[in-house]
Amino acid sequence: MMSTKIKAESIYRIYKVRNVEGDNSHITNHNGHEGLLALDNVNLEIKQGEFVALVGPSGCGKSTFLDILGGLATPNSGDIYIDGKPVKGPGLDRGIVFQGYALFPWRTIQHNIEFGLEIKGIPKNERKDIALKYLKLVGLEGFENRYPYELSGGMKQRVAIARALAFDPEILLMDEPFGALDAQTREVLQIELLRIWEETHKTIVFVTHSIDEAIFLADRVVIMTARPGKIKSDIRIDLPRPRLEGDLKSSPEFARYRHELWELLRDEVDKAEEQASENIRGAAAHQEEKPAAAWQPQKQSAV
Amino acid sequence: MAKNWLTDINDKLLNWYGIVGFLILWQIAPTIGLIDPQFISPPTTIIAYAWTLMETGDLFIHMAASLQRTFLGLFLAVITAVPLGFILGGWFPGVAKFLRPLMSLLGQINAFSLFPIFILFFGIGEVVKISIIYWSSIWPILFTTIAAVQHVEPIFIKSARSMGAGRGTIFFKVILPGSAPAIFTGIRMGTNVAFLMLIAAEMIGASAGLGWLVHNASMNNVIPRLYVATVSIALLGMGLNYFMRWLESTLVTWKEETAVE
Ligand SMILES: Nc1ncnc2c1ncn2[C@@H]1O[C@H](COP(=O)(O)OP(=O)(O)OP(=O)(O)O)[C@@H](O)[C@H]1O
Ligand SMILES: [Mg+2]
Repeated sequence: MMSTKIKAESIYRIYKVRNVEGDNSHITNHNGHEGLLALDNVNLEIKQGEFVALVGPSGCGKSTFLDILGGLATPNSGDIYIDGKPVKGPGLDRGIVFQGYALFPWRTIQHNIEFGLEIKGIPKNERKDIALKYLKLVGLEGFENRYPYELSGGMKQRVAIARALAFDPEILLMDEPFGALDAQTREVLQIELLRIWEETHKTIVFVTHSIDEAIFLADRVVIMTARPGKIKSDIRIDLPRPRLEGDLKSSPEFARYRHELWELLRDEVDKAEEQASENIRGAAAHQEEKPAAAWQPQKQSAV
Repeated sequence: MAKNWLTDINDKLLNWYGIVGFLILWQIAPTIGLIDPQFISPPTTIIAYAWTLMETGDLFIHMAASLQRTFLGLFLAVITAVPLGFILGGWFPGVAKFLRPLMSLLGQINAFSLFPIFILFFGIGEVVKISIIYWSSIWPILFTTIAAVQHVEPIFIKSARSMGAGRGTIFFKVILPGSAPAIFTGIRMGTNVAFLMLIAAEMIGASAGLGWLVHNASMNNVIPRLYVATVSIALLGMGLNYFMRWLESTLVTWKEETAVE
């Protein structure tokens, strides 16, 4: 039996927001924290070496959850455990690939990849060897002396993955890493990521908007509800591995998963859309109120 | 093919046509008596005069005097404004915000108008000229440094934190390099203002420098010398600007070359 790598226990996250007059529908109070409830009792267990995809409508709290797993944000209540130990902050046991590449533009590709290694205190020569090794792993040999601005989006994404892998974290947290790429590059990188995962046996949490991507990559697809984010369902993907061949996506099993996930997700996407249009209406109503609000002090001073 | 390289050369020279045309006009107008050569010396006379000034070495002495003051004042401004900007922008953003109105007021004070006060404090020596440079360059450098530090992309800091970077590492490896280009812009702006101010200051109280040369020429009514000094100031100012750009592009190698200069 594989051991539990990550455990999220009743995670709540409330963002402090400026109170918009008239519209308090999204403001909640939880244990004395008042604000916008982004995560509402999220519980999740991920096994060592598992590839878990996290899907959900925009604004449902996926990035928020990933930040908490990464130790970059703290939940208002609840705990994250890695290997049974509570997470206190960021650490080199977790590598994060951010939504947008977040490469340092002032560093060459090689030195970008070396960043985590510098913090680990690895000597210069060794750092270089490691950086070149991971650059090769993501198929960018010979680009070590380039700067990020000289690379295409797909290449930057590969560097970001190499950088997160280079300090050898046990867990890889990836936030829509392929979201900004064209379909072909995306497919190539999906296959490459699977190859790397199979080579390195990392535990991966992968946020995506694409159901196809989630099914193709993951052992499990976790679906989140519209805000406030809860876990709606947790679907095991029993497709054979290695999934390196292209026609898997046109197989009947794949279509069945796609249908099942889409049925589950559809309501949440609708709900999120409703929330968004309510926000727009709320904002519009708020604007209409403004002149009236400007009136009031005058009236009062007249009294 | 032949036409191609001709247009190539033409493109390269395009910038110069205006200057060359202007010089020709300048030469002809006083020579044919269109304007009084007493007031406007033709370029050939100026060049001849410049040559004698260079032969005696006088011109270089004045250039060196102005440059030395500029660099010294600038150096002092950079080593105070940049660390101060980092401290205010990075560690005390509240204080920076609180001080901003005061600082922009001080920054608006023309260094030249402070000249008499500086003279009261520092006398008429070198210190007063250097303080003019210092005053006029410190504000733009300080403002841009504070803004640069505060505008380093949060995602870079987040990304560094995710790799276990502490405060010190984030400062030296993210905030410092991330704000360098903007700080350089501030230093360049400061240099331009400071050089203008210096020349003006040298015209009032100095015994050497290009500003003094202008003043001296006008006192003694040596019109060609006046022009030599004026042209030297323009060239030196341009040279200073190029030098700053060169310094920036050698230190900040990671930025995409932008077509717009
Ligand atoms: N710093 C913040 N302050 C206030 N509210 C925030 C903050 N960050 C996120 N939120 C809100 O929390 C909710 C969840 O945001 P989050 O970025 O986690 O969503 P997401 O699922 O990653 O969305 P997307 O798929 O669009 O990236 C959103 O409603 C968002 O508006
Ligand atoms: Mg997100």
